[in-house]
Amino acid sequence: MDQRFLDELGAVVAPGGLLTDAADLFTYESDALVHLRATPGAVVLPVSADEVQAVVRLCHRAGVPFVARGHGTGLSGGALPVEDGVVIGLSRLNRILDVDIPNLRVTVEPGVTNLEITRRVSPFGCYYAPDPSSQIVCSIGGNIAENSGGAHCLKYGFTVHHVLGVEAVLPNGDNVHIGGAALDLPGLDLLSVIVGSEGTLAVVTKATLRILRRPEAVLTLLAGFESIDLAGEAVSAIIGRGIVPAAVEMMDRLTIQAAEAAVQPRFPDANAVLIVELDGPQAEVDEQFAVVESVCRAQGATSMEIARDQAHRERIWRGRKAAFAAMGRVSPNYYVQDGVVPRTKLPEVLRRIRDLEARSGLRIGNVFHAGDGNLHPLICYDASVPGQAEHAEKVASEILLYCIEAGGSLTGEHGVGADKKAYMPKMFSTDDLDAMHLVRCAFDPAGLCNPGKVFPTPRLCGEVPGPYRQHPLERAGVVERF
Amino acid sequence: MASSSLDTIAQAAHARWGTPASRAAGPADAILDQLPAVVLEPTTVPMLADMLRWANADKVAVVPRGAGTKLTWGRTPPRIGAVLATTRIDGSIDHCAGDLTATVPAGARLEEVNAALAREGQWLPLDPRLADRATIGGIVATNDSGPRRQKHGTPRDLIIGAEMALVDGRTAKAGGRVVKNVAGYDLARLLCGSFGALAIITRATFKLAPRPPASRTIVASAPQARPLADLALALLSSPLTPAAIELQSRPDRLLLRFETTEAAANQQAAAAEALCGAHGVDASMVSGDAEAAVWREHQADLSSADGTLVRVAVLPAQVGDVLGHAERVAAQHALECRVAGRIALGVVYARIGAGEHTRPSPESLRAAIDALRQNAWARGGSAVVVSVDPAIGHVVDPWGDVGDALPLMRALKARFDPNGILNAGHGPGNI
Ligand SMILES: Cc1cc2nc3c(=O)[nH]c(=O)nc-3n(C[C@H](O)[C@H](O)[C@H](O)COP(=O)(O)OP(=O)(O)OC[C@H]3O[C@@H](n4cnc5c(N)ncnc54)[C@H](O)[C@@H]3O)c2cc1C
Ligand SMILES: Cc1cc2nc3c(=O)[nH]c(=O)nc-3n(C[C@H](O)[C@H](O)[C@H](O)COP(=O)(O)OP(=O)(O)OC[C@H]3O[C@@H](n4cnc5c(N)ncnc54)[C@H](O)[C@@H]3O)c2cc1C
Repeated sequence: MDQRFLDELGAVVAPGGLLTDAADLFTYESDALVHLRATPGAVVLPVSADEVQAVVRLCHRAGVPFVARGHGTGLSGGALPVEDGVVIGLSRLNRILDVDIPNLRVTVEPGVTNLEITRRVSPFGCYYAPDPSSQIVCSIGGNIAENSGGAHCLKYGFTVHHVLGVEAVLPNGDNVHIGGAALDLPGLDLLSVIVGSEGTLAVVTKATLRILRRPEAVLTLLAGFESIDLAGEAVSAIIGRGIVPAAVEMMDRLTIQAAEAAVQPRFPDANAVLIVELDGPQAEVDEQFAVVESVCRAQGATSMEIARDQAHRERIWRGRKAAFAAMGRVSPNYYVQDGVVPRTKLPEVLRRIRDLEARSGLRIGNVFHAGDGNLHPLICYDASVPGQAEHAEKVASEILLYCIEAGGSLTGEHGVGADKKAYMPKMFSTDDLDAMHLVRCAFDPAGLCNPGKVFPTPRLCGEVPGPYRQHPLERAGVVERF
Repeated sequence: MASSSLDTIAQAAHARWGTPASRAAGPADAILDQLPAVVLEPTTVPMLADMLRWANADKVAVVPRGAGTKLTWGRTPPRIGAVLATTRIDGSIDHCAGDLTATVPAGARLEEVNAALAREGQWLPLDPRLADRATIGGIVATNDSGPRRQKHGTPRDLIIGAEMALVDGRTAKAGGRVVKNVAGYDLARLLCGSFGALAIITRATFKLAPRPPASRTIVASAPQARPLADLALALLSSPLTPAAIELQSRPDRLLLRFETTEAAANQQAAAAEALCGAHGVDASMVSGDAEAAVWREHQADLSSADGTLVRVAVLPAQVGDVLGHAERVAAQHALECRVAGRIALGVVYARIGAGEHTRPSPESLRAAIDALRQNAWARGGSAVVVSVDPAIGHVVDPWGDVGDALPLMRALKARFDPNGILNAGHGPGNI
């Protein structure tokens, strides 16, 4: 990277805000998908939105690609640097700027972690609903970019349902306000595309989020089943009875064993467990619980354990949230897949995964957000055995095809990033991708903002319509603008 | 369209598609007294896409139309080339009850969709104005919703996928049929509230809700609106989960609806009554037919075409002040003004100058809207004119300032619709 450009970068950020040493850059070579790596030319660590804007302006002027980075927990290579480009690390923009309890809003900088928000507002009986398993470490900026979800998204929705407004720096260096604390601000709903854009449209520097009141009652049920199929049928039956639980999670024997070894949640000895959480007004929870209990019994639940207090509930959730990391206890290496199927297709897809497990000779653990059909197959392998890592990767991608064939999606929460972009044409036609690309071109015609992600092949934007010009219809007096 | 006359447009369309897909406009097709050159009513999505391709190539200004319940809003292009209606396009409702999702054609009426979903005890929990006639496409394009927004949100919160026709005649889809999905940009949500300015929505997929087994409504009355605004805030900080918290004016009342299981609806209604008591507000509970009647009346009031309707959105805790301000503005300009709506969300509707004899002068209407707008802006909110008395509609800017992202919105419009044929100048922010 050219020294003059580096000097300019150094001049717009506070001392210590520019990293160029190989040892410093190493940390930023990948996100949590560690096999995809690239060395950036520089990492900047701005402390204010103004610094972010100054950095983006410089990149724009010099035509240098840049990648925003939160806390690097992404699992699709979204924050993978562009070789010799700039990484804009947002971890120092980590202040909670405003807490407005009467209106149930908080305004934060993007480097604030997800859980910090709930911690800050819980003395007031409130919480921030999206709860990715990585919530202790992941940043709100990363959550917005990935439209992150968690176990409780079945009832409460994803990040997109809880972000009301952002301030962001566009790829040309302009600062914009999109949405806000009040609802229904006029104009196109640009927030809809910024959320989930995986850092390819803008760098978010501030966000106003909706917080919720804690429900009056919460009840968590842990039920063991003879088989994944029976547990799956119980889920369908619960929803068929008109109940949308706050969360429905499922784990199979292998992942139960792993969790047990790692964090001792004292799960039952079963081939599958379901965690069903109901929340809301006490009377509603009580009535719904009676239904859920009878459904589980009818599906032959082998055990049922009810958590009515926080400590008990936390023990159960610890087992679920530790499931990924716990796989290290049962396998030297594992590959985490993320795919979605319509809930009613779960049994069929799980059957295909079991066949694949038998055929491939690799063990596959299954943890999933069963309520919304979001699968997380964990493919176990041993990297010290030549060829096994590649084999695991093939198995993982075959599972994605099953999801797409079942009418689902190639990602439910981890994003496309660099990892899955090649699969996009399996789910979307050229015309579909072209339509998405129109958005990309409107935001980033020069293609500098996190290039090489989401879209399967690099594309140019063609003629840039540029700043507003008077339309022929306007000139002819056919239409006018205010 | 600047070059070709309206007659030429109509002839070209008739020659291509014949009747009934292409026909001359009748009085019912007029938009603010403007007759389009031609009305296009395609029966299939490929035909609709073909019509759009033709309009784009010939630069014919197109107004997409659902039921046409609310086309007479604000400003309309002085000359409309074609109205392109979605209502004749055949297509069935694809209800996946086990997945709690449904894919529906854009031209389907909400009421007809919900009648179909009710067979499995589910629904698309939207209750916009004129819900009996409004189409799915129109509701998505306006992101319209009603009292139940308190619990269920707007179309944007429920949509999970969409199919659209682009101006170049191609069709594209975004999102999918699963509730959880982060593959690619969320164009389905982008289309919500796009007012037909980017593409024509041809199908949409939504997540659904189970129909609640029971409903109760508390009618809370007070001599003035202020204590009701305080009560609405108190509800927000209580553990109650109302489906709707609606303000009515003249008489000033709050309607609090609880839709859940039988026992929970009773429990919550009782708790809400107690809360009213603590605020010195009279409350009574209604259920069954009486409850249905209360809501029917309220919906009719919200849907009325009388006067000019301005949507004022601020923070929930600011609504009390906004109500007081609206009253002062009305008095100052000698206008009739009533405010109703989603008070606990901070979204209320001011109806100005309803009734023939109270029609305001264009100057006083504009001054009143400006005043409401300034007051909302100062609070970080907005005031948008939803529908306007056609006689004086030309004097108001429906949107007001949309802020520093306007160039970006225009860039998006220019990418999707480079010739500006789709509701040109009529989209959000006048894009
Ligand atoms: C153990 C584990 C469990 C996980 N569980 C879940 C889960 O349950 N649900 C879930 O959804 N995800 C989960 N994830 C994935 C990951 O935590 C989320 O995607 C998270 O939102 C990433 O946040 P981050 O701050 O680490 O972002 P990063 O990894 O740093 O970046 C992610 C993406 O966001 C962009 N980005 C970051 N900040 C900004 C900004 N300010 N402006 C614009 N773009 C920005 C980056 O460019 C990149 O594309 C898990 C990850 C791990 C390691
Ligand atoms: C500008 C405007 C603002 C409104 N704001 C509100 C509001 O804030 N609150 C409220 O209660 N009601 C509002 N309404 C009323 C609301 O539009 C109606 O209640 C109903 O949703 C419209 O349904 P429809 O089928 O009659 O649509 P129409 O009246 O036929 O069309 C409504 C709008 O959507 C476009 N459109 C229709 N179908 C499609 C499609 N398939 N693809 C793309 N665009 C399409 C039209 O061009 C038009 O701009 C608004 C209406 C308009 C026109």
